[in-house]
Amino acid sequence: MRESEARSIIEKVLKLSGAEDTSAVITGSYKASTRFADNAITQNITTNNYSLKVSCAYGQKVGHATTNELIDGALQGVVKRAQDIARVVPPDPEHMPLLTSDEAEKYHQLEPYFEDTKKFSPSDKARIISAQAEKCQEKNIRLSGAFSNGSSFTSFGNSKGLMGCYKSTSFEMHVTCLTPTSSGWAEQIGEDISKAGFSSVVERAFNIAVKSENPHDFEPRKCTIIMHPAAVAELFTFLFWEGFDAKATDEERTFLRGKFGTKIGGENITIRSDPVDLRCPTISFQQDGLVAPTLKWIDNGVVQNLCYSRFWAKKKGKKPTGFPTNIIVDGGDTSVEEMIKTTDLGVLVTRFWYIRFVDPMVPSVTGMTRDGTFLIEDGKVTKAMKNMRFNENIVDVLNRVEVLSVPERTGEYIPVLAPTLKVRDFNFTSATDF
Amino acid sequence: MKELCLRALNIAKEKGVSFADIRIVKHHTQIVTTEDERVSGIQDSESMGFGVRVLLNGCWGFAASKNLFRKEIEAVTLKAVEIARASSLAKMGSGVVFAPEEPHEAIFRTPVLKDPFKVPIEEKVNLLLGVNKEMLRVRGVKKAHSFMWFKSEERHLANTDGSFIESNTCTSTAECIATAVDEHTAKTRYFEAIPVNAGYEHIEGTPLLKEAQRVGEEAVAHLTAKECPQGKKDLILHPSHLALTIHESIGHALELDRVLGMEESLAGSSFATIDKLGKLKYGSPIVNIVCDNTDPTRLASKGYDDDGVPGQRWYIIKNGILVDYQTGREVCHTIGTEQSRGSCRADSWQSIPIIRQSNIGLEPGEEPLTLEELIADTKDGIYIEGMGSFSIDQKRLNFQFGGDCFWEIKNGKKTCMLKDVTYQAITTDFWGSCDAICDKRFWQPYGVLNCGKGDPMQIAQMTHGSSPVRFRNINVGGAKL
Repeated sequence: MRESEARSIIEKVLKLSGAEDTSAVITGSYKASTRFADNAITQNITTNNYSLKVSCAYGQKVGHATTNELIDGALQGVVKRAQDIARVVPPDPEHMPLLTSDEAEKYHQLEPYFEDTKKFSPSDKARIISAQAEKCQEKNIRLSGAFSNGSSFTSFGNSKGLMGCYKSTSFEMHVTCLTPTSSGWAEQIGEDISKAGFSSVVERAFNIAVKSENPHDFEPRKCTIIMHPAAVAELFTFLFWEGFDAKATDEERTFLRGKFGTKIGGENITIRSDPVDLRCPTISFQQDGLVAPTLKWIDNGVVQNLCYSRFWAKKKGKKPTGFPTNIIVDGGDTSVEEMIKTTDLGVLVTRFWYIRFVDPMVPSVTGMTRDGTFLIEDGKVTKAMKNMRFNENIVDVLNRVEVLSVPERTGEYIPVLAPTLKVRDFNFTSATDF
Repeated sequence: MKELCLRALNIAKEKGVSFADIRIVKHHTQIVTTEDERVSGIQDSESMGFGVRVLLNGCWGFAASKNLFRKEIEAVTLKAVEIARASSLAKMGSGVVFAPEEPHEAIFRTPVLKDPFKVPIEEKVNLLLGVNKEMLRVRGVKKAHSFMWFKSEERHLANTDGSFIESNTCTSTAECIATAVDEHTAKTRYFEAIPVNAGYEHIEGTPLLKEAQRVGEEAVAHLTAKECPQGKKDLILHPSHLALTIHESIGHALELDRVLGMEESLAGSSFATIDKLGKLKYGSPIVNIVCDNTDPTRLASKGYDDDGVPGQRWYIIKNGILVDYQTGREVCHTIGTEQSRGSCRADSWQSIPIIRQSNIGLEPGEEPLTLEELIADTKDGIYIEGMGSFSIDQKRLNFQFGGDCFWEIKNGKKTCMLKDVTYQAITTDFWGSCDAICDKRFWQPYGVLNCGKGDPMQIAQMTHGSSPVRFRNINVGGAKL
């Protein structure tokens, strides 16, 4: 869908609505995903969808409706459903007046859209996967993973004249190599497929799998951990699952209650959002048209900002921030090799798996290591280890980070830029059988 | 609809496919959410489209579109064929072996007495705000949330077996959550109208208003509850808790696609490999686990799965031994069976069917046994209700689970509430320690709404049921920092 088409649909919606305030968001995506296991393609799909969300308000009474039919008759239907809801619900005291066209001046103009990324065909991917699968097969390695590419599109407009549009492309490849006793994993995520290097991703996963063969038992204990960016992203993302919500925090329902402006982590910890960081670009606006935040959430260990909705910001006399669209954990300049060399006894972790809160008020979490866990002794990686469970307080972890590497692109649920971290006294509590 | 479906299948057949199907699916979802005295959101969503899947020279191709008209169906079918040809560039051996299936012409409908989408919004809002009011009435409760969630699915499935299957399913649920806050922390407690395939009558039949005060009181009691002990304890698990334990440690472990390594890169694989079929001691002899996709009120029941296979009832664990898996037509031959168990589902028109958990339940005990009698027979234990923290390794062995509410059991009596209870075990040790199951009078089904699997991620729903159960000598408190 072109921007002009989306704008035309949104204008039709705004014209059709008889509500006092109306806003509309069109989101669309084309996705082509090729999945493979045991050195063969097992799933190969393409899909194309658009969705239109209409919000209508009469005073403080608000209704929302969504459809993926964008023809004229359907537009009337979705507007009517939103209006019908708005007419009968009680007023929402937290509903805010629509933002005006001035807000658009704050939107960035970055558009990480690469036509070649979108056009990369299932055959292109199949050829690349096939070549690597053959190499793995020759070495008795089982190759699994997914290679996807596509484009996405968001267009926003409201009856106060605010309009915004953002389109991007993306590719993602993640690979697991299996030996009879071990696994290794690697990934690459980006916007421009010309920068994709499938063979190097496979090579990284392959090397981890081979090095982690025949893993040893290790008595779970507190010890130094060196965790790669994917593990850091998985762990730190949990800080933002409501933790930084200003309203919940002011209502004393998050671990940050009473901690705004205080130092919760080491001085080497800065976590921020920046939609125009070219290593991790994201959309310029949020669902209500508010500009996406460019902020430091934690600055040198100090809680610098919380996430303020427009309503809560007004109530508290603060500037609205909305919620992060990407997470950037600032890094350092220590190489992973240097981290290993300076570790007497530690564990090197490729990534974590299935992290869940134990108590979000602490915030304590549990999870497992996965796809390449190694023992470090006297400055060297000495052997592969069986996977372990950990239980940790994430804020405590922020105080035990000794050194950081240059950050890398990762992130499963939200785009993340994260370094490898060396953390002391990481709390491993039990082990599994592989 | 049938004509559109036949058009896709005919084109696919002309291109030489060995199998093809088309699913035309419409979803309607309505979510009403409230916070304290306000309606925080009402979202009414519709999505419709179709997906065409083809098997050509032993390789899959799939394409989907929201534009349901003849020319688009033709184009999407050709696209699926083109993708299948691309898949053949990386083909394993002779390719996919797809089990044969009889043609079926059928219509399946969830029994619905009161269409939830026709119930006035005001009625739903009034109930939820009333529930919030009751929770907030409890001193110490500082926040009340509640929601209702309704989803209907209309599906037309046609395939080259000659099947034409129509299904209409409807799921209804509601939940309320009280948050109590004191000077140290915040704690929650929830109650739900268990997710089931039914209409609004299910919401009306659930005592949300009546339970709201208890929910609030238990949230407050949770604040000052005794810390979880550390060490070995007997556990008595209520069905509202055990549902997720079954889901994570049995349900996922016995999906045959992940057992075979097809999910390795994302959700992982399974310790319960096919060489262990018929031999693995999964649990104690009283552990009998049944899959049942024949009961229309359960969330995984839709008459026929998306492979066009009828819903079935079968044991996966019998007298503690692993005896079967959840299978689809692509993988059932790997365990020597000719027919799929009908466990393949897709979460939308734009997703490809994959093996999803069935409705899985632990059979009740044969001897009469109440929860009270089970507690009375336990000297040193913990009783757990509701779902909480859940984490398990990617082969489904080492897990650590929490819950929503916990009570200490001493010398046969519930003595006091506990907080932050977690237990950790290895799956087979845990199920091997099961020594008592309450009888069928206390068997209850619970629904899981957000089970994620696949890549791209698909979200599926299913039901797990049990009676209250006891497990002996389990490690607790390992999460304490």
